[in-house]
Parts: sequence; C-alpha cells; structure tokens
Amino acid sequence: MPNTEHLRRSRFRASFADPDRLLFAVKHLRAAGHTVLDTYSPFPVHGMDEALGVRPSRLPRACLAFAALGLTLAFGFQIWSSAVDYPLRMGGKPLIALPAFIPVAFELTVLLAGLGVVASFFAVARMWPRLHVSDLHPGANDDRFILAAELAMDTQFSAVAADLDALGAVEMSLLVEDRLVKGASFWDRPAGAGALILACLPAFLLVASVPLFNRDFQKRNLAWDGGMGAPVSAQAFDASAVLRGGLVLQAPPPGTLSRSGAAPLAFAPGKTEAERAGRELINPYQPTQARFNRGKAMFERVCATCHGREGDNNGSVVVNRGAFAPTVLVSPLVRDMPDGRLFHIATYGGPMKMKGYGDLLSREDRWLVVLYIRELQKAAARPTSAPAVTPLPGGVQP
Amino acid sequence: MSPSSTVPVRDLTKTGIPTLADIGDRLQGGAWTFVILGGLLLALGLVLQAERGWANLLLTAFNLACVGLGGLFLLAIQSITGARWSDPILKAHRAMPALLPVAGVLMLLLAYGAAVLYPWARPGADLDPVLHGRLAWLNTPFFFGRVILIFAAWIWAGRRLARQGRGAAAFILIFALTFCLANFDWLMSLEPIWSSTIFAIYGFSGMFLQGIAIVTISAIVLRRVGLIPAVSKAQNHDLGKLLFAFSSFWAYIFLSQFLLIWYANLPEETGPLRLLLQAPWVPLFYLNLLLNFGLPFVLLLQRKAKTSETVLLATCAILLVGRWLDLYLQIMPPVLRGAAPAFGLPELGGILLQLGAGHLACWPVFMKDVNPSQELPQAD
Repeated sequence: MPNTEHLRRSRFRASFADPDRLLFAVKHLRAAGHTVLDTYSPFPVHGMDEALGVRPSRLPRACLAFAALGLTLAFGFQIWSSAVDYPLRMGGKPLIALPAFIPVAFELTVLLAGLGVVASFFAVARMWPRLHVSDLHPGANDDRFILAAELAMDTQFSAVAADLDALGAVEMSLLVEDRLVKGASFWDRPAGAGALILACLPAFLLVASVPLFNRDFQKRNLAWDGGMGAPVSAQAFDASAVLRGGLVLQAPPPGTLSRSGAAPLAFAPGKTEAERAGRELINPYQPTQARFNRGKAMFERVCATCHGREGDNNGSVVVNRGAFAPTVLVSPLVRDMPDGRLFHIATYGGPMKMKGYGDLLSREDRWLVVLYIRELQKAAARPTSAPAVTPLPGGVQP
Repeated sequence: MSPSSTVPVRDLTKTGIPTLADIGDRLQGGAWTFVILGGLLLALGLVLQAERGWANLLLTAFNLACVGLGGLFLLAIQSITGARWSDPILKAHRAMPALLPVAGVLMLLLAYGAAVLYPWARPGADLDPVLHGRLAWLNTPFFFGRVILIFAAWIWAGRRLARQGRGAAAFILIFALTFCLANFDWLMSLEPIWSSTIFAIYGFSGMFLQGIAIVTISAIVLRRVGLIPAVSKAQNHDLGKLLFAFSSFWAYIFLSQFLLIWYANLPEETGPLRLLLQAPWVPLFYLNLLLNFGLPFVLLLQRKAKTSETVLLATCAILLVGRWLDLYLQIMPPVLRGAAPAFGLPELGGILLQLGAGHLACWPVFMKDVNPSQELPQAD
C-alpha cells in the first residue's frame, strides 16, 4: 500500500527490446537517483536482482525451519509410537531402531520443507485467492523487457524520457496515478482472507464431526487396525445361521475313528493304568538299524534335553539351567519297568513332572524310543561305558 | 556485458607472485620424494605385514583410478549437456585422466599379491562349496585379463574425450559397465561370498564426490594464484551446491545399502558390515559418515558458506580424507579378517604415493591445458 500521506512521486514505465538494454537502463536510472520499483520480463534476466538491489530471499530460512519441523515430527512420532505408546520388538531390533526411521524422516522432512516453503512464498508475496494483478504491459509475457520506476525528486519526466530514448527504450510513458493506486479488492486484504477461512471453519468442523456421531462410520473408518477387526465378510468363528445352536466348529461324535486307521489307545492316564499297560502291552517292533536310528533321533530331539543323551540326567536344561532332575533312565528302577509301562509314560507323562508326548511323537516313534532306551541301558550296564551305542543283533527284550 | 569481451590475465612475472611453471618446478621435487618414500614404505609394509601392504597398494591403485575417472566423468557430462558455465573454473578435470595408466600399472602389480588379498586366489579355494561355483569368474588369469581390458577401455575412451572432445556418450556407457565390474571385481571380491547389488553405485557416489572436491580445490587455488579471472560468486555457489548435493547423494546410497543389510541381518548378507559394526571398527564407521556426509552437510548448508572459498576448501579437504577412509573401510576389514584397524607405515606410504603420483601424472597435462600467456575468455 503506497503511503498516501507522503507526497507521491510520479511513476513511469519503459519497455525495451532486449534484456541487456533493460539491465543497463536499470543501472543507469538507479545511478541517476530514480527508484526502480520492479522489472517485468518473459524470462529471468541474469544479474537483475543485483542491479535492482534486491535483498537475497529469506525463504531458505523458512525452508530450514519447516525441514527441521518435519524431521522432528517424523523422528518424534516414530519413537513415541514404537517405543513409548506401543513398545513392540520387531526383528530383534532395539525399540528405537533409528536407521529404520530414516526413510520416513527423510520423506517428511522433504515434504514439509517443500510445502512449507511454497506456503511461505505465497504468504510473503501476498498471493491470496482472487489477487488482482496489475497488467502493466502485455509485452512482458511476450518479447518486451519492462521496468517501472519512480521519478527522482524535482525531476521532470521529459528529462528522463530523453535519457530513456538514448538508452534504447522502445516505448515509455508516465503512468496514470489511478493504475497503481487502485485499492486492493476485499479478498486481497489479509482480513478478507481471514474472513474466508473463518467462514469455512464451521463447515469444516461439521464435516470433521461426522465420525463423532456416526458409530457405523467410526467402526468402518476410524478403526486403528485399518478395519481389519470389523470386516464385512463372514468370519470363521461367527455364529452359524444354519446349524443348531449357532455352532460352527463341533466336536466329533463319540467313538469317531481317526482316518489314519490307528485304533484308540485303550489306556487312560494314571499310575494304575500305567501298571496295567506294563502288564498288557508288548513292543510290536523288533530292533533293526533303521529303527535304532529313528529311535535315537526322536530320543535326542525330544527326551535328551532333560534326560541327557545317554539317559544319565545330563540334559542341557538340567546342567545349564539347573532344572529339576528327572528319573535316571539307565537306573535299575527304569531298567526293571516293562516296555508297556515306559510306553504309557511316554504317552501320558510320568508320575513326577514329565509331560506326555503322545501329541508330539507318533505311536510308532514312542515304541522306537522305548527300544532305544533299552539299548542305552545295555550300554550303561557294560563295564566300559562306551558312549557309542550300537544295537546288538539279537537284542530282543524279554 | 558482452560475452565476447576478454580480460587479460594478471601478468605474473611483474607481480612477484611465482608463475605456474615455478610452482610446478617446486612441487616436482616434493612429488618425487613422495613417490619414492611412499613406494619404499609400501614395500616395507609388504615385507612386515603382507596383507596390509597389498591392501594399501590396492587402495592406492583404486583411488588413483577413481580420481582419473572422476575427471573424465565431469568432462563427459559437461560435454553431453553442452555446459559452458564451468569452462573457466574447471581446469583440473582435463588433467586428471592422466592418472589412469599409473593406476593400471599399480593394479597389475597386485597380480603378485592376489593370493594374499583375495580368498578365491588362494590354493584350496575350489574346496569351498560356495567359492567353488564362482571360480569360473574369479580366477587369477581372467581377473587380471579383465583388469587390462577395463583399463584399456578407460584409457582409450578417456583420451578420445580429453584430447579430441569426442565420444562423451560412448564413454558414459563404457564407464557404467566397466566401473561396476571394477568395483565388483577389485573390492567386493575381497569377501567373495558376500554381494551387494548397489555396491558399484556406492563406489560411484564416492568417486564423483571426490572428483568434484579435487576440481573445486584446483579452481579456488587457480583463482587465488591469479590464473583465472575473478568470477562471480555464482560459480563458487554452483561448486558448493554440487558438493552439497553429491555428499547427500553419497549418504543416500550409503543408507540404501546399509539399511537393507542391517534390517534383514541375514548371516550371508551382513558380510564385512558385521565387522564394521563391532568394537574396534565402529568409531571409524561413524567417522566415515561424519566426514563424507555430516560435516559437509552442516558446513555447506548456508548459502554464504557455499560461496566462501575458505569453507569450500575446508569441506573439500574433509571430503578427501573421508574418501580415503571410505575406501579403507571397504578394503581393510575383509583383508585383516577381524583384526583391529591400524594406521602405520603402509597406510602413510599409500597416501604419499597417491599425492606424489597424482602431481607427477597430472601436472604436465595441466600445464599444457592452462597456458598462462593465453588470454582467457571472461566468464558470463
């Protein structure tokens, strides 16, 4: 806004046919004491900023500030969300795994810096909506290089016109005051823009408040799991509309046989049942090299962590972790137990702490483990206590 | 301001400032000392601790080749884009390719130390189940055959470009292929069962950054001596922007390689990085980031800093040290196999050799290009 209290000086414009003449004219006019307000050209003229005496832009500072804001927000939010609000260890990394945060931080830094500097530019240049742009000269978008200036005090335009002519101006004119003093429209004023934003605010609030009142909208769109918890499709554990009682997953009828053909084991858990198994069951498998290998593999995978690889309570959890020591498999007590009872213990668990492995080892594997335990006992009974156990050809258990 | 006007170069004979030829004479003696001393120290290193000696020879050869390629690459992109802003200030990049033959000879010397450096060149490599399948590519005769081919291609395309100003596009194509090969062969195969597909771009980013740093130093020094007319700050600003941009590019590529390896943390992918992130090496790992990215970023962030010759010189010096460290960290951990990093006579020898050979190879070409009696066109 030009200060109307001040004695306003006359303004004039001049157009040139090439950028070098414009640049020279600007330098000349400024040296002569005139005030060059601005220049208009179809493309930026190299060195014009210096000739006009324009201060370097301060936009880079805004850029830096917005970049710092983006960086801080990105790192702050990632640290807060992954280490404070919902600490969840992923991939064995620390909760604050900075390298993993860098891509997001980089993107947000660039995004906020870019958007922020453009917004700052609009704000500084007062480019509001419906900005009235004074159409100084149509040639400024075509092939003319134009300057607008204020006359120095006590100078007549005719004197400047002679100068400009000598400088190679194509045309020049004293500007009618009204062209430049024309007031900005309502929306050009900051108050106007503020009013526009204020007018939009209730509408924005109304739109934003829809989720607060509409539960279905909330359920569909505001779920923090992205709606994965409340999908539209039918779910496996929803109540059935067809079956009685809404059941979906049902227990098999009593007496159902496994499709693999194995008959159910006719023994219940418990010590008396274990003793009955010892009397009634015999190991259906004779020792061979292949069965020995299989039994050994299963024993070392499942049993040896507690019982030890040689059945001597040397298992890793006993030795390294000080766990409760189980029954020594090569002891006379176990040696005297019949095969069926060992099989029962392997299936349902022992009298002390041992769990049953019927769910983990197949029936055949349990029998093969029993075979292998017998071989361990034989090896332990031998005076040389050789660690390598080999099956004897005639090693049939009585 | 008419583009055709010229300014005479300051008459150096009358000002008491030494002429370029004087400077060259003075530096030449020092350069020979550097080369001889550096060579002796490297040889001593070979005797005392063979791995470190050979590794420093590799570092020296590779970095000299990179300096040459950095100059050629700048020349090529200038030629392709028809850029003229840089003509008055970029002078060194025409001389830098003269280093390529020197680097080639040093690289061929490695034939005697291949078995020390490269696991695939050791006897018994074919017994390794993984290495066994890679020996068709990684074997000594083929490897050094490729060294010869690659250097021949560089020297040929480089001469054509630097002397006749032709074949810039062809050079870029040849360079893209051969520089990848060079990085994979010479550096990555130090740990032959490890691979990183971005490795060559990582090498390129460091190589080009170093090229810009050397050219910036030479531009500033030439201007201070008076061989280039005073030009607008805009050209300093452009060099500063290039340094800033490619330092950031280096960091970008560094992270692109590091992030995936770090995040997945698979035994067969961690390779040398695992060593770098362990106790004796980890300070150097962070120092590398600081020298190549952290310090240049902070130093050059301001516009004022990008136009200041002092800041530019300091940044370039930091970047040159950073480049050496970057190569050191790529070469040494696999070669030393878990031993702590060391800086001693072989390292010093390698650095002296680089400096001395750099001067001796480039200076004559440079003198031919920058003729002090000639009038230089004024920069627009």
